[in-house]
Amino acid sequence: MRRLLRKDWPSLGRKFGYGILLGINCGCMLHLFQRYIGGPKPAYGPSMLPTLAVQGELLLENNLSYWLNPKSIARGDLVSFVSPINPQRLACKRVIGLPGDVVCVDPTGEKAPSTEHVIVPKGHYWLSGDNAAASRDSRWYGPVSGRLIRGKVVAKIWPPRSWTVFRNPVSYID
Amino acid sequence: MDAVKSIFQSVFRSRSKPRFQRLSWIRTSWRSVVNDHPIVRRSWNTLFWLPTAIVFTDFFFVVKQVAGPSMQPTLNPNSSQWRDIVLFDRYHVKVEPRYERGDIIAVWSPSDPSKLFIKRIIALAGDVVKTLPPYPDLQVCVPEGHVWVEGDERFNSDDSNVFGPVPLALIDAKLLYIIFPFDRIGPVSSRITVRDDLPKGPAWRNEMAAIERQQWRDSRVTKRSE
Repeated sequence: MRRLLRKDWPSLGRKFGYGILLGINCGCMLHLFQRYIGGPKPAYGPSMLPTLAVQGELLLENNLSYWLNPKSIARGDLVSFVSPINPQRLACKRVIGLPGDVVCVDPTGEKAPSTEHVIVPKGHYWLSGDNAAASRDSRWYGPVSGRLIRGKVVAKIWPPRSWTVFRNPVSYID
Repeated sequence: MDAVKSIFQSVFRSRSKPRFQRLSWIRTSWRSVVNDHPIVRRSWNTLFWLPTAIVFTDFFFVVKQVAGPSMQPTLNPNSSQWRDIVLFDRYHVKVEPRYERGDIIAVWSPSDPSKLFIKRIIALAGDVVKTLPPYPDLQVCVPEGHVWVEGDERFNSDDSNVFGPVPLALIDAKLLYIIFPFDRIGPVSSRITVRDDLPKGPAWRNEMAAIERQQWRDSRVTKRSE
């Protein structure tokens, strides 16, 4: 009991408080690194089959190149963005149209007549999921503002047996 | 110069030491550089705590200056010589989202990623709004996850009547308090109610005009049925 009373509680309390502040600072640094430079992120949902599985996968996000150069997005890139319908969720889809492009809204004819085309406005992108049947994308909520986009998804790093680097699969027909 | 010399000497001497002791020169030379030069120490301290400061302004509060006349007479009125400086609340946008009709918010422009507008939320998702020119449709049902924003000065405002409903994710912060100029210092509330305690002078007339504007805004919105 006397040993407890002899401990220097104020200085221990100061050290503990400083340790907590250091921990908070470390967490903030990790958060900022992951938000502006990139890092691993899990993905859920069927809208990007067969490129991404429904669950259990970790993707590698590259936010640095979009942050430094917002024009570095090309048609066919996988991008991660804040969902326009639910600001608490991030989504991952493929870029189909850049600002100024004329895009066919839905070639399958489900969400719109297959002849309907839109011009993507300035600063917006037309995004589409690879699994068109089960994907809520620009066919539902229209072109997505470039300000909502976080960065590009460049690779799948987990599970190790399906490790892939995503290449741009788009080819242009003249 | 002394630091460089001491680093060189300690590297040279450390080649004879066992491996685990060789890197202690990094620690001692860093200590000497930081303790001898107060400028280095202060800038290192600032740099070290920068992530906490950045995350604090990203998620809690930030102070900004208001530019432009699109929120007159609430902000930057013509009677004021200086631009208003205001306190923004990011907690109720990023951490615990809570929006009401009548909130003044800072919202990023959908088409130009570098422009930040300060506008008022007129309608939430599901409400039907009667729009103003130059919007092509006379009535709009605000889609899920979006809000309709307008500036208080309707003739000089780039708002939802120009670019349509805005997704909630583009909202940057909510206005909480006017800090400067001191004659209008105080909180900015989203709804004003009639007050009996004001004497019938210029302040009362301004309040009545603000209430009239609020009634006009409310009349153009049909709230989503509960």
